[in-house]
Amino acid sequence: MPDASTTPHAAPVESNGTSPLLDVRDLQVHFPVRSGWLGSNNAVVRAVDGVSFSVGAGETLGLVGESGCGKSTTARAILNLIPPTGGEVYFEGQQIAGLSEAAMRPYRQRLQMIFQDPYASLNPRMTVGRILSEPMRIFRLHDSRRRRLEVLRLLDIVGLNPRFVNRYPHEFSGGQRQRIGVARALAVNPRLIICDEPVSALDVSIQAQVINLLVDLQQQLGLAYLFIAHDLSVVRHISDRVAVMYLGNIVEIAEAQTLYRAPKHPYTQALLSAVPIPDPKVERQRKRIVLEGEVPSPTKVRIGCPFADRCPLADNDCRMSAPPLVGTDHRVACFKA
Amino acid sequence: MTESPRLLEVRDLAVYFKTDEGIVRAVDGVSFDVDRGETLGIVGESGSGKSVTNLAMLGLVPQPPGWVERGAARFRGDDLLKMSERKLCGIRGRRVAMIFQDPMTSLNPFLTIADQMTEMTRLHLGHTRRQALSHAIGMLERVGIASPADRIADYPHQFSGGMRQRVMIAMALSCHPDLLIADEPTTALDVTIQAQILELLQEFQREQDTAIIMITHDLGVIANICHRVNVMYAGKIVEEADVASLFASPRHPYTLGLLSSIPRLDERGAERLTPISGQPPDLANLDNGCSFRARCRYAIERCANEIPELRMVSHGGQAACHVDVAEAAGQEKAHA
Repeated sequence: MPDASTTPHAAPVESNGTSPLLDVRDLQVHFPVRSGWLGSNNAVVRAVDGVSFSVGAGETLGLVGESGCGKSTTARAILNLIPPTGGEVYFEGQQIAGLSEAAMRPYRQRLQMIFQDPYASLNPRMTVGRILSEPMRIFRLHDSRRRRLEVLRLLDIVGLNPRFVNRYPHEFSGGQRQRIGVARALAVNPRLIICDEPVSALDVSIQAQVINLLVDLQQQLGLAYLFIAHDLSVVRHISDRVAVMYLGNIVEIAEAQTLYRAPKHPYTQALLSAVPIPDPKVERQRKRIVLEGEVPSPTKVRIGCPFADRCPLADNDCRMSAPPLVGTDHRVACFKA
Repeated sequence: MTESPRLLEVRDLAVYFKTDEGIVRAVDGVSFDVDRGETLGIVGESGSGKSVTNLAMLGLVPQPPGWVERGAARFRGDDLLKMSERKLCGIRGRRVAMIFQDPMTSLNPFLTIADQMTEMTRLHLGHTRRQALSHAIGMLERVGIASPADRIADYPHQFSGGMRQRVMIAMALSCHPDLLIADEPTTALDVTIQAQILELLQEFQREQDTAIIMITHDLGVIANICHRVNVMYAGKIVEEADVASLFASPRHPYTLGLLSSIPRLDERGAERLTPISGQPPDLANLDNGCSFRARCRYAIERCANEIPELRMVSHGGQAACHVDVAEAAGQEKAHA
């Protein structure tokens, strides 16, 4: 819902006068679920419950959190793959949340996505050449001869041999398939790529190859990434800024080095302390904050802080009202921080 | 033999599979030991043979297409690979227990937790139904399941992923096994839940002196709970050492490559990671050279003609490499 201070469809303006490439404002995705006898209980899953952030041109924003925290749903809602139930999404200054498929299409050229599973996200009946030329054909880019050349160029820039153009996805390894996924996203010259767990299905030795590829492409092409992952070490490596989600909310967002060095939210602190570090010397001396219990159900109606049930610092205030995300560069949603 | 045999002694184990592409040497001559109360980590990428090694010991490799080509796996002196199925049944689940990566597919969705947990102790420990039930409730309580007496009548789908893995651990440990084989037990779980599960395993180990074989691809998990580590590549152990030496001075190029290809949470690190180039080899088409040489930056001519054997190296463990990696890496630095 636009608030009174901004007119609909107007680009929100940053303090320096330029608008960010992507600006997400109070995004909400609520799913109705039926349960009980013949669906008599109508509950609502608040998968994304009022999320706001922005991504600048050429920037990488990491989005982290545990399974079910709403990070993938956020990505899909930005792309209108799941219609948001509230809030606004500005891309290049235009409001795109809730647009019809036809109205959304021109934006899809500049707003692409790379998926987690390199096995499920490529059509097994299409050759690599076809997979890569399809997006250009849909957006009517280039004539067919030029498209064929583009396909070869794309294969080359993602580090695959252009001779592979007539092969099918099953002839490639997981890492190579993920390179094809990257090439497909690049085919239409996007400005922002949403990467949803792009390396988590890959072996450790192959992960680094794909991460380096994404970093190189960003530098060459000035791409912006919204990089969603549960691997906090990978996110630190690749991100300029990082947002931490818990139960449909962003609880902390800051410049990456600041967030990892001095996390302020108790959840971020626990999350970072839980990641084992591949160095026995360091590992022996670390103090781990082991959280009690598990993430509560997102259907539960809650008035206080989403983390209050598991938080070692929570008191009555935390259970009575939800802390807003406050701060300038390092923003945190916690009364105790 | 006068001294008591080791808990587990694996010697020259080889497990092959027949496939359309030819014979795949999934595990090819693997030897290692495990003692009471210690945690041995087995690390390697998918297809390196780390799971098959352990499945083979318990007679769980599907035959056909697979078979144990040669070798021995002596558990307290008795070779598991030559044992009758009946005798093996008395060990599997009782003295050697296993937990798997995906707790949903390893629990039977049609049976309650009570049915599945009591079956084990009634069979192996001769519990009556009532004894078995109270033992199972006690185990669930130990692994941190709230109100276990009520939850035990539930079906697996009524538990979350982390809770199911706790149930698996409770089940695996309910006969107080001497050896627990944990195959990627925390890979499907979130990090905060992983921390809880690793803590739990260590607690049980301290209490009951259980030996653990921890199979994982996560070097952080290895550093966190293991005492010794086997690094596997293409069906072979390529390096073996105590955990501190392995991380401080890796002596096989693959181990070195793994360690430098992962970003670390506690370091800003370099702009670029140093990946291992190329792909793992096709296990159906291995030749008479080192299987890592195509991806290895230190490879020499000898690597193409002679498979390197594991030999003692200065960190006290063993590595299978013709090149002195520490020296080669040092020279590289000097040139840079």
